[in-house]
Parts: sequence; structure tokens; C-alpha cells
Amino acid sequence: MPLSQQLLLAATLTFVGAVVQALQALKSGAWKQGRTQLMLMAGGFVLQTAFIYLRGQEVGQCPMKSLPDILVFIAWSILLLYFLVGPAFRLSLLGVFTAPLLSIMQIMALVGGFAPYPPKGKINALVELHAAVALIAYAAFALACITGVMYLIQERLLKKHQIGGLFYQLPPIQGLSNAIQRLVRLGLLLLSIALGISFALQTSVSNPKLVFSWVVWGLYAVISILMWRHFTSPRKTAWLAVIGFILPFISLWIVTHA
Amino acid sequence: MPEPTDNHGGLVCVGLNYKTTPVEVRERLAFPEAQVPQAVQQVRGLPGFEGSVVLSTCNRVELYATHALPSGDHGHAALRDYLVEHFQLQPEHAEALVLYNLDSAEAARHLFRVVSGLDSMVLGETEIFGQVKAAYKTALDTGATGKTLNKLFQQAFTVGKKVRNETTIQRGSTSVGSVAVDLAEKVHDLKECRVMLVGAGEMSRTCAQSLLSRGAKSIIVSNRSYDKAVELATEMKGTAMKFDEWEHALHEVDVIISSTSAPHFVIKPEQIEQTMRKRRWEPLLLIDIAVPRDVDPAVNEIEGVYLYDIDALQTIADEGRRERERQLAACERIIEEQLEKFGFLHSPVPNQHGFLTS
Repeated sequence: MPLSQQLLLAATLTFVGAVVQALQALKSGAWKQGRTQLMLMAGGFVLQTAFIYLRGQEVGQCPMKSLPDILVFIAWSILLLYFLVGPAFRLSLLGVFTAPLLSIMQIMALVGGFAPYPPKGKINALVELHAAVALIAYAAFALACITGVMYLIQERLLKKHQIGGLFYQLPPIQGLSNAIQRLVRLGLLLLSIALGISFALQTSVSNPKLVFSWVVWGLYAVISILMWRHFTSPRKTAWLAVIGFILPFISLWIVTHA
Repeated sequence: MPEPTDNHGGLVCVGLNYKTTPVEVRERLAFPEAQVPQAVQQVRGLPGFEGSVVLSTCNRVELYATHALPSGDHGHAALRDYLVEHFQLQPEHAEALVLYNLDSAEAARHLFRVVSGLDSMVLGETEIFGQVKAAYKTALDTGATGKTLNKLFQQAFTVGKKVRNETTIQRGSTSVGSVAVDLAEKVHDLKECRVMLVGAGEMSRTCAQSLLSRGAKSIIVSNRSYDKAVELATEMKGTAMKFDEWEHALHEVDVIISSTSAPHFVIKPEQIEQTMRKRRWEPLLLIDIAVPRDVDPAVNEIEGVYLYDIDALQTIADEGRRERERQLAACERIIEEQLEKFGFLHSPVPNQHGFLTS
């Protein structure tokens, strides 16, 4: 196994470790947001970054062409946004909910394998920027999905009067609701920028990647309007953020195999 | 690993608390805050004494001291006499006085338990940590502590933090008031939280005070007796509202605490549905303390509305207490480990005065 993949495996094990540690602590009722979780996530991020760097060296370009590479790049972006957004939105426990998704995405990437890329001519910086921004937008939608899950759990605990360990660690539902809206808007803004860049590229409008990107943009634009105009309750909004992420997730398969 | 303290044998603690002494006696033996520095000096000035810290709260009065007397019993007797004399107790009161007399490791263990909230009326409460810190600072500022007490209290603060960090002893609510605060905190940012009291019963007053003390933004009080509403609103720096007007302000508040004496539901699903539309789905917490209940339970089915009646609050408080009790063993284990680490549980050896040191 090349060094790059060894690093990715180590990152994945770190995230799995974070999940196991959190689950054990939650199960015993002794869960407390502490340094261990943060250190594990930070360690995983460093390993992911090293993987992306080495993989970039291997393929001679930004590693965002094959599905496994895309999954790793989105996982990396999710973690980047988690470190940037988590403290700003005071989303304690976001890491615990993020780690399982990261683990799954990276296990899928490792199972899929990292094939070499076909030789590429001159690198077009705009194409690379377009792809990177689009994937970071997907990461924002992924975080909105995770925050939606947190909202739905906290909402249920409040409704059912199940006041326990997890309840005390999850943020207030109003804060979660606001965070979902902001993350959807952030993702929409980034995707708009990525699609804006695509106008400067000489790419066919019927390119499947572009078509799916526009479909995803349309979906989140509708969700964003529903949230903004308060047409739906925060609970339905959370469900939209959770279910909505299925589309960009599936679209990754379609566009990489098209 | 730190060096064991070398003078634990000269350490004594004499005290009384809510378990040993009723409030009528405790209040007579409490040191007013302003008199604590003087008391610290007086204890230190007792023959054979070297240092002292006086802890006086509503639940306990404790004297921690180091001495060079022939035995711990001499130290206990001297401190007891000091209390009797200082508070000028009548002989019958002095005779009835129940004090705990602790030496070296027992005194340290007791202090570690006190700082950790394990000896408090509300198990795991955190206020005592600050109170012990203030008592120690007062003694330190008057120069009455000495090496042994300085070390002991620093160790106690370390232990207190360790117990809180490594267990969940302080987690969960143990009273109806604190449950209300916890719930409000998980629905809204408390600093932006507007509270309405419908009915001004004692329990709702307690809940409202808990919310305000934790930073709730504002309070509206509505009561059948407008005078009582004004009185309570003034006390809580809030706004009074006539009883026939509170329904119109429902959409402006985030937490409603209801405790009227009405024999029927006063808050109904139709009202709350209308309110939620006006609130644009901002979540609403309803705390129904009244018996018979004020709020129709069907209200809890409305999206974004969270209803808790008195039984639900009480159940959560009971569970909070049980949860803290479950943590007790882990806390005690930490304290014993720390006593060992700090050298309090080493094999005792007689010192130059003939009594035991670690």
C-alpha cells in the first residue's frame, strides 16, 4: 500500500476511534465534550491533508477526478468547515456526528481504490478551482445534513421528555435550526460561485457534471427559499437538509461514472 | 509525583453542617463575612496553633487549623472552646453542640469532599467550590494559612476540579427550578429568552428567578390580582400585565410558566397554533406548574412547542439526583486516589509530639 493510502487509512482509523470513544462515553453516561475528540479530529485532518498532498503528487493534479478521490476531498472539506463553522455556531458535539460520516466516506474511498489518472495536458486553474469550490459546497451541504440529524435528535428528546446525557451535550434547537439555514446558504453561495466559474470554461452545457450541479443548486435554492420565507417548520427544514443531501451524494456516482 | 506533606498530623478540622445541626443553631454560629478575617486571626492566635482557615456558609461552619499541640484531641477541644466563647453560647447550648472533629487524613478527605460538592445539600453543586476558595483567600490575605494549609487547600482545589472534570457529578438538574433553566437553555439562547409568568405562585416565582439568574432577557408577569403581578414584576425587574391581556402577548415570549388556580385549561391548542404562526415557528417552551393543569396536553403535539407539566419536571429532577448519586462512587474513588497521591494515606508514624503523622 503506498504511503498516501497508509496515511488515509490512519486518518480513517482516527475517525473510527473518535466514534468509538464518543459512543462508549455516551453509553456510560459520562460523555463530556473534551480535548480527546478535538485532538482525534485534528489528527485525522492532518493525516487527510497529507494524503491529499501526496495523492496530488502521484497524479500530477488536484486529486478530484475519481469517486474515491472526490469522497476524500469532500471529507477533508467537511472537517475544514467543521473547524471553521463549529465554534462559530457553538455546535458542540458536531464532531461526534461528523466522525461517522467521515469514516464511512473514507472507507468507501479505500475500498474503491485509487487508480492512476490518465495523463493530462496543461492544467487549467479555473477548472481546478471550479471543482474544488463545488466540492466544498457539497461539504457544507453535508454539514447541514449532520446538523439536521442533531436537530431531529434534540427535538425528539425535548418532545419525549428524555432528558439525559446526550440532551445536555446537544446545542439548543434554535441554534441548530439557525446553523442549518446558514450552512445551506453557505453551500448555495459556494455552489453558485463554482457554477459561475463554469461559465468561463469552454464546457458543454449538457455536460452531465454541470447538469447535476445545476439540479443540486436548484434543490438547495428551493430549500433555502422555504427556510428564508418560513414556509416550513424547523423540523421539516431539518428533514429537508438531511434528505436533500442524498441528491448531491448520489450525483457524485453518476457524474464520476458518466 | 509530589512530595507528601510532612505535617498532616497537626492538621485538624472542627465543624458543623446541615446534617449535624439544625438551622436555628447554625445561624447562631455563622461568622458574618466581615468578621471572618478577624476569626481567622483569633484561631491562629490560640495557644499552640499555627494556621487557620474559617469556612462559614449557610450550610456549614468549619475551622481548619494546624497546631503543635500534643494531640489532635487538644486541637479539637481548643477549637470547640473557641466557638463556644466566640458565640457566647449558654452552657446548655454548648453542651448540646454537635461538632465533627477530624484529624489529618480525615480532615483532608472531608475538605476534598466539601470542595467537590459531595458534602453539599444538593449533591455535586458547584457554589461551594467558590465559597471554599473565598474562605482560603481571606485566610491567605491575613497571613494566617502557613505552608501546610496552603498546600492542603491547593490540593483540594485540584481535587475539586478533577472530580468535576472526570465525572458528571454536576450534570443534570436536581430541582424543578434548575430543570426549567436546563430546558430553556436547550430550546433558546437564554440571553435572548423572554419569559412570561401566567399566575404568580411560589413555584413559578422560583422558576422565573432561576431563569433570570442565569441570564434570561426579560420577564412579563400576569396575574388575576394585578397588584400581585406588579409586586412580583417589580421584584424581578420585569413588566406587569393585566390578566385579560396575556393571551395577546403569547407570541412575544419564548418561555411561558403557568401556575394559575383555574379549574380548567387556560392555554389551549388553538391559541398556541395561532401563536406559533405569529412566531414564524420560533420554538416555544411551556412549563405548566399548576395543579389542576393549566395547559392542554394536546399542545405538546404542535410542532416547535415543548410542554412540561409538574410531574415531568419532578421526574427529571429525581432522575438528576439519582444520576448524581450514581456518580458518587467514582468521585469518592478519585478523592481516595488523590489522598494517596498527596501522601495522606501513608503508614502513620509518631512525630516529636508523640502523635501520628503520615
